Amino acid sequence: MRAAVLIVWWAALVFTPALAQAPSKLRLVATTTDLASLAEAVGGNRIAVSSLVPPNFDPEEYQSRPRDLELLRDADAVIRVGVDYDLWLDRLLAQAQNPALARGGPGYIDASVAIALLDVRGAAVGPGHPHGSGNPHYWLDPANAEVITGFVLELLARIDQPGAKQYERRRIAFLERLAARQREWEKALAPFQGKPLIAYHNNWAYLARRFRLNVAGIIEMKPGVPPSPAHLAELLRAMHEKDIAIIVRQPHESAKYAEFLASRSGAAVLVLAASVGAVPEARDYIGLFDYSVGALTAAFSRQRAR
Amino acid sequence: MSDALALLALPLAATLCLVGIHAYFGIQVLRRNVIFVDLALAQIAALGATVAFMLGHPALGATTYGYSLGFTLLASLLLAFTRQWSGRIPQEALIGVIYVVAAAAALLLIDRAPQGGEHLKQILTGSILTAGWDEIALIVPLYLAVAFVHWLLRARLLAAAELDWRWEFVFYASFGVVVTSSVALAGVLLVFSFLIIPATIGVLYAERLFQQLVIAWIAGAAASIVGLASSYAWNLPTGAAMVCAFGLSLAAAGVLYPFARGASKTQAARRMLAALRWSATLVMLVSATWLIVAPRVDQPLLDAAELAVPALRSLYLDEREAELYQDASSHAERYRRDAERLNEFEARSRFEGKPLDDHELRRISSFLKSYNEMRRGEEFVMREVRSRARTRARWIVGALAIALALLIAPGFFTKALSALHQKRSQAES
Repeated sequence: MRAAVLIVWWAALVFTPALAQAPSKLRLVATTTDLASLAEAVGGNRIAVSSLVPPNFDPEEYQSRPRDLELLRDADAVIRVGVDYDLWLDRLLAQAQNPALARGGPGYIDASVAIALLDVRGAAVGPGHPHGSGNPHYWLDPANAEVITGFVLELLARIDQPGAKQYERRRIAFLERLAARQREWEKALAPFQGKPLIAYHNNWAYLARRFRLNVAGIIEMKPGVPPSPAHLAELLRAMHEKDIAIIVRQPHESAKYAEFLASRSGAAVLVLAASVGAVPEARDYIGLFDYSVGALTAAFSRQRAR
Repeated sequence: MSDALALLALPLAATLCLVGIHAYFGIQVLRRNVIFVDLALAQIAALGATVAFMLGHPALGATTYGYSLGFTLLASLLLAFTRQWSGRIPQEALIGVIYVVAAAAALLLIDRAPQGGEHLKQILTGSILTAGWDEIALIVPLYLAVAFVHWLLRARLLAAAELDWRWEFVFYASFGVVVTSSVALAGVLLVFSFLIIPATIGVLYAERLFQQLVIAWIAGAAASIVGLASSYAWNLPTGAAMVCAFGLSLAAAGVLYPFARGASKTQAARRMLAALRWSATLVMLVSATWLIVAPRVDQPLLDAAELAVPALRSLYLDEREAELYQDASSHAERYRRDAERLNEFEARSRFEGKPLDDHELRRISSFLKSYNEMRRGEEFVMREVRSRARTRARWIVGALAIALALLIAPGFFTKALSALHQKRSQAES
């Protein structure tokens, strides 16, 4: 009897710490909050996801911190946007020296390779983006979530086989939920197909294509270069001729030029979320569209009522 | 034209207000030898606004402005006291330290607040183009009040030799108030130009404060108009175009200086002509040598000349080469147009007609890539044809350029001619 008690005690002492860590979570690092949200949708509580760029920072100009290296050193997998959007990750990965995360390694995902990219220009320079390899904001088409989560599922099922079934179930459930919402978003925006609007930066191309919106002008043609007066005059003319009454920008983008155009034309400035966490309402990937599509629909309806 | 006027009238009015007050402060700043003090004060004001923002006050509210002003006044006090050190350490050292520490501290704070980055940027990067009535209505009374105080205290404030910290504090505090508002309106680069360049021109040309001011105002106004107009005409970012226009105005003032202030105008003119001829000779000689040594690499002078007068190219391309060059050029243009058309089609399909599926989109992308590659191929052919022709013609073109350089060089040609004359007359005798 005493022996049995002792064995139980011993077992408790030895195994408790092990038990606490037992379902040791896979650690996945995403460069942006959007990819983190999509990875979470597949991995659920079997994985621990962290994102490097905080919401409302411009990922193209992100300056990394020591914590990023630590995260990458301990991570099992990394997922990035690619298309020259998070180029700084290459330097971080080289420094972190985690062989699993090397380009092409077992824990490396660059989802852009399987996306049908927009604004591809080859080596030439296209408007809005310094590189011609394509527009990197592809997560803003909910249909692309299928590709991104597909990569996540493949990776997770490979390095955590016991969870494979669970990951697959979660992904299918998420995509079904997303598809249902997408139909609602499409329905909400359908009456405004082709209605022109102006954007601060060329980052709404995928959203526009999916929901058939007409981004008729861009304020900041080259990142970091303020628009010239001739360009603003041209935008004002277009706004007048095509009756453009909506200007969209992200919360972290300069309000000045958008407000300026709005004050000259009577248009409304709409702050949309292009990333999870950009506004408090955009808590996750679906919330991001709920918020932005809702704001767009409301603005278009106001314009029509006017 | 009316578009341009409607767009540029208010920015011009705001610019003239800014030039008005900054030219005066610029003269004072030059006199005190604290050239970068505006950057330090602007950065301190931004730090104050950031602290207010972190404490939860709205970005453009009165409280935030109060914090800005408080920080600026503290920095002014520091600057006024340390004025007395300037015998041992240049005050610019302290100004630099204030600038970098304020900038770094603001960055550390911002790192804790999403959206703060944009807020900080707004304080420091202003855009003169979006200036409106609201801003003008704010700065005009403010600047008039500051000007009035300075006029009342002119005897104290202009006695720079007398280092009384109280008057120095009044100077830096009022300057801080002005800079805080102007940097938010026009941005750091432009405000620095407003401050230093017209004042430098004024000090260059006149002794008395009033004359210096008038000259500075005229120069500043002219540079502002040129900068704004060229930014519209050539589709340039306004702030950068204006800073360059101010830089050019200083260069022009420097070039004209010997004419206006020198002892003899004809001598000044002769000296300038000689300098111009020597520079032209030097450029020609270096370019000719460069062409002979390395005909296949970039030839800045020749490339610029061909860009301005494309007919120059036909002088050294033979018939076949010219044909090849023309052919490649027209093909490149055709590929560019085709790619553009395809692009436009894809962009329209996002919201018009039948949407493209991913497969069609991929096909279009691959076509676009091919068009661009083909265009680059044609451009390569153009470069190659030109390089070969240049390699062939380098001795003749180089020799011609050297001869031209010698003709331009002052004195050389006349000396050679008179030497020839002497020889001939010697031979005759």
